[in-house]
Amino acid sequence: MPRILLVEDNEMNRDMLSRRLERRGYEVLIAVDGQLGLEMAREESPDLILMDMSLPVMDGWEATRTLKTAPETRHIPVIALTAHAMSTDREKALEAGCDDYDTKPIELPRLLGKIEALLGGTEKTPVGDATP
Amino acid sequence: MSDLPKPIAERVQHMLPRDLLHDLRTPLSQILGYTELMIEQMTDSGQEEFIPHLEKIRKAGRDLANMLTDNFQSK
Repeated sequence: MPRILLVEDNEMNRDMLSRRLERRGYEVLIAVDGQLGLEMAREESPDLILMDMSLPVMDGWEATRTLKTAPETRHIPVIALTAHAMSTDREKALEAGCDDYDTKPIELPRLLGKIEALLGGTEKTPVGDATP
Repeated sequence: MSDLPKPIAERVQHMLPRDLLHDLRTPLSQILGYTELMIEQMTDSGQEEFIPHLEKIRKAGRDLANMLTDNFQSK
């Protein structure tokens, strides 16, 4: 079962998205700010990280830059999530080292496609509406 | 804008379009996300009578999200 680390400070978005991902067969780890996300990525070595960009303590850009420069975490794919949807936000996320980018409100099939594309090379991923 | 209570009107006028969009998208995300989660759960549990109502909420939310993107988003 692929393990996804969701770094998100908004309680409702965190609850909603983690439940929807778990219904698709992913194990979801949670961190509520960038600093905790960084620590959890080091300790748990998840298969993929969903990183909100506007986070307290340490924002998503800095957390991603740090992850992508550390040998033990740089291989973990990071998808940036943001409620900002300007083209400059996308460029800024990719510059920080994010592997992909998606906007809120989340369109789950589109996000799942991006997750599966990034996980695809390494392991079999759940498909469609598989429910636990 | 002139019909709004002054503090709100002033706040909106002084907000950058980018922050206003962000602050509109965040609750919209929650409305859409939980609506879609309920559709998924009710589909699984066979409570199909409520799904058409939820689909209407979902469509209205998506239309609003698209309207924000199409009309208020600069490059």
